[in-house]
Amino acid sequence: MNNYNYLTNNYPPQPSDPIHFTPLPQINLMPNKNMQLFTPKEALDRGNLFANLYDPYKNYQPVALTGKNEKEKLYLDFIRMAFAAHELNLYLDNFPNDQSMIQLFNDYRQKSDTLKNQYEQKYGPIDISSNALNTTPFAWVDQKWPWEGGI
Amino acid sequence: MWKYEKRLQYPINIKKKDLRMAKAILTQYGGANGELAAALRYLDQRYTMPDDRGKALLTDIGTEELSHVEMISTMVYQLTKDASVAELKAAGLDDYYSEHGKDLYPVNASGVPFTVTYFAAVGDPIANLSENMAAEQKARAVYENLIDLATDEDVIGPLLWLRQREIVHFNRFKELYDYYNEKYNSKIEPRNNI
Repeated sequence: MNNYNYLTNNYPPQPSDPIHFTPLPQINLMPNKNMQLFTPKEALDRGNLFANLYDPYKNYQPVALTGKNEKEKLYLDFIRMAFAAHELNLYLDNFPNDQSMIQLFNDYRQKSDTLKNQYEQKYGPIDISSNALNTTPFAWVDQKWPWEGGI
Repeated sequence: MWKYEKRLQYPINIKKKDLRMAKAILTQYGGANGELAAALRYLDQRYTMPDDRGKALLTDIGTEELSHVEMISTMVYQLTKDASVAELKAAGLDDYYSEHGKDLYPVNASGVPFTVTYFAAVGDPIANLSENMAAEQKARAVYENLIDLATDEDVIGPLLWLRQREIVHFNRFKELYDYYNEKYNSKIEPRNNI
């Protein structure tokens, strides 16, 4: 009698074993074509870009993040684009052949880069390869740290 | 290698101290289902993933988990920074304070220090991805318990957000799990006569 529940694993040998290494077979799962995406603002508020995966808890509503001033508004615009690009990055790890999502990823990535540069020029560096690090004293040590509150 | 960004993935701005909530939330740093275990779990498993998709996904989610460690740490810091020693004592944090002051230190809600036995890396992609899917669900459940305990909007917002990340990560791991299952297991003949 066949027991279909008992399958041995058959992973291919790893590249560290040159004698037995064979290239992996090509299988490409199709991405879900019914996928609905939130806007970058909706996505950051919820912590999820993918409307089909969104799963709220009880009656809790996500917080609608808003900036009190120009600095906070620019910062939120930047982290919204950065988050949307990150979500598509994780998706594309699994579906690297989804051309329309690669296009959207690059759109969000470019917007995120541009907004980050704008923010850094006005308010100080976010990372250590920023163009806003040529002042004295060294601007990297001169800004609030992320755990110290504020947007 | 990694590059630090001087920002949180999602803003946290808690204005009111709450030591009992801090003690509960600390478990998502140093507890069995916490963000530190998640980060180490994925980053340790990624080396032997059978293809580049797995290496990419585990690297990218593992990296995101490091930023969640920073978010949880930020919540604990903001909830405790204005507390007096008497208040820490009253909240049952005197044991913690005696060893660690107000530094961050990975323990669970009962004060048990973090241990790497909280997570597994067994060298088998299907087993590892199953572990990761379970881990994301367990972390989601813990976030729901924490949201039930919380009363301050400034605390509930980030907890809801982190809970939602567990759901997205679970689905990404499941996609990869299904993909590997089809890729590596579907061609195997069932064993006969067992």
